[in-house]
Amino acid sequence: MVTDWTLTQILWLPSPLAILLLGGLFTPFIGLLTERVGLRRVRELWAASVLSLALVSLYLLFQELRGEPGGVLLILPFGQRPPGGSCFEIDALSLFMGGSVAFLGVLVAIYSFNYMEGVGRLNEYYALLIFMVAGMTGIAMAGDFFTLFVFWEMMSLSSYVLVAFLKERWAPIEAGFKYLIMSATAGAFLLLSMSFLYGMTGTLNFAQLSASLRGAALTPWLAVLFCCLIIGFGVKSAIVPLHTWLPDAHPEAPSPISAMLSGMVIETGLYGLTRVLYLIFTPSLFHIPISALAVLTMTMANIWALLQQDIKRLLAYSSIAQMGYMLIGVASGTSYGIMGTFLHVFNHSLMKGLAFLSSGSIVHEVGKRDIESLKGVGRMMPISTITFFISLLGLGGVPSTNGFISKFILFNSAILVGAPWLAVAGVLNSAFSMAYYLRVMKALISKPEMELEAREAPILMISVTVVMALLIVLLGVWPEPAIEYATEASKALVDNIQNYIRAVAY
Amino acid sequence: MIPYTPFMISTFLLLAIGLGCLMVKRDMIRLLMGIEILFNAANLNFIALSVQSEGFVDPLAQSVVMMAIVLDGAVIAVGLAMTLNVYRHYRTVDVRKLRRLRW
Repeated sequence: MVTDWTLTQILWLPSPLAILLLGGLFTPFIGLLTERVGLRRVRELWAASVLSLALVSLYLLFQELRGEPGGVLLILPFGQRPPGGSCFEIDALSLFMGGSVAFLGVLVAIYSFNYMEGVGRLNEYYALLIFMVAGMTGIAMAGDFFTLFVFWEMMSLSSYVLVAFLKERWAPIEAGFKYLIMSATAGAFLLLSMSFLYGMTGTLNFAQLSASLRGAALTPWLAVLFCCLIIGFGVKSAIVPLHTWLPDAHPEAPSPISAMLSGMVIETGLYGLTRVLYLIFTPSLFHIPISALAVLTMTMANIWALLQQDIKRLLAYSSIAQMGYMLIGVASGTSYGIMGTFLHVFNHSLMKGLAFLSSGSIVHEVGKRDIESLKGVGRMMPISTITFFISLLGLGGVPSTNGFISKFILFNSAILVGAPWLAVAGVLNSAFSMAYYLRVMKALISKPEMELEAREAPILMISVTVVMALLIVLLGVWPEPAIEYATEASKALVDNIQNYIRAVAY
Repeated sequence: MIPYTPFMISTFLLLAIGLGCLMVKRDMIRLLMGIEILFNAANLNFIALSVQSEGFVDPLAQSVVMMAIVLDGAVIAVGLAMTLNVYRHYRTVDVRKLRRLRW
């Protein structure tokens, strides 16, 4: 079952990860060398091509996975079998997450060409961006808790530095420090829950943990473990009582990084939570707490979002609310609900990515982030504004955008498992969220009150946002391919969980 | 075999001390020390659990702890770099002064 890819054999890593790690490692050297020679734009092209190459190799891996019986690929670094050795265990869900991450990564890297121009330390910027993508891909492919933790910290470390990247201003530093303290505490709780799991079973391998713990009755130690896991993953995925770092950190990061953080990093936290919960517990055990967290998350985040004056801060609160919708699918415990969750993860990465990128173009031109002071920008930057509108409509769940499809599946799954109150809460929140999206739209197209200087953004930034907007509409009217991939991914997690367990011989 | 209970008690004590430090202390360097204590609580628990079977020390837990020490060292290094930058902007390392971002 071990793949015979040459790159995999040399480096003992799945090929997309090997490409990303090597690419990230060489980025600063290539940047320094080409600067010395006087060539411009080489490191940008290098970063974008590394990310696209990773995307291609993820696709090749997906083709390989389809031919595999059981749909699980096991890669053992150094040939050690679990529990002694760590491993990568790749199923359709891992590749779905990895593909979404790499896809958004390519778009963000291309967008950064113009956006980050004039900011110093670009070598570090692109290296950190690639390492963040590598961390997320590694989390998605990890076959045991140890591997997951290493890549988790890799993703976290790069995102701390990227949030505080514009260190000449005070706000990113303050936000970054807050993020670091909260997220590192969560990391410690994750390590603690790992130690409890190790104490109960003597292994950290997901498949073996699942074989010995799944279906067990709820003991006090399992309850402690559950709380530690919720804290450990919940801070990263911004579930409401633990979200306080997000509305500071996401707006203060450079806009492409905001898109990456809101679009994929918090979803990676959700992926970790989902994977571990479904492997260790049976869905009936965590249905009530997760649905309570879902309702709390979306309601509170929507109320807070309504009060915001800052456009990027509003989008950050909207991300928390979307996290609430995704939790509905996790709570449902069926493969249909999980399909909705991960379809929404992909759709949200497009929509929130686009929202941050096109609002980033606007903010970049105008230099202000207040909604009131952005009045009338829509007349000067028509394309950015239209793409921004499409993303906001998608986030609100208007039919013919992809946000509608995934929200519909999520709410439907809640009804199908006999929790209609969850669906009602979701629908009410969706309607409520339109209030603040429409407020932003109204401000952007109303008559300017003061003198504003704004030109349309450079062509590369525009083309990235236009491509994303077209994808949102396309996947809204023709959602079959996305649904097909998401269904395959969710089946791998819920229905075919025995294949995942059986791949590691006990 | 070494009894586990004293280790469990000290793990929870360390956890309480670390969380208390994060809640009460106002100095950024002390907050980072609080995080270090939290990580050490988890590491201690791992090591205590790895010696539970007779005459055998599990290398898995030892390697995880080694890696965790490296990782939280990296986190603390980034935190210290940020503290330095905070000092450049605010001329203090008191987190109560870092209140310009709200809501």
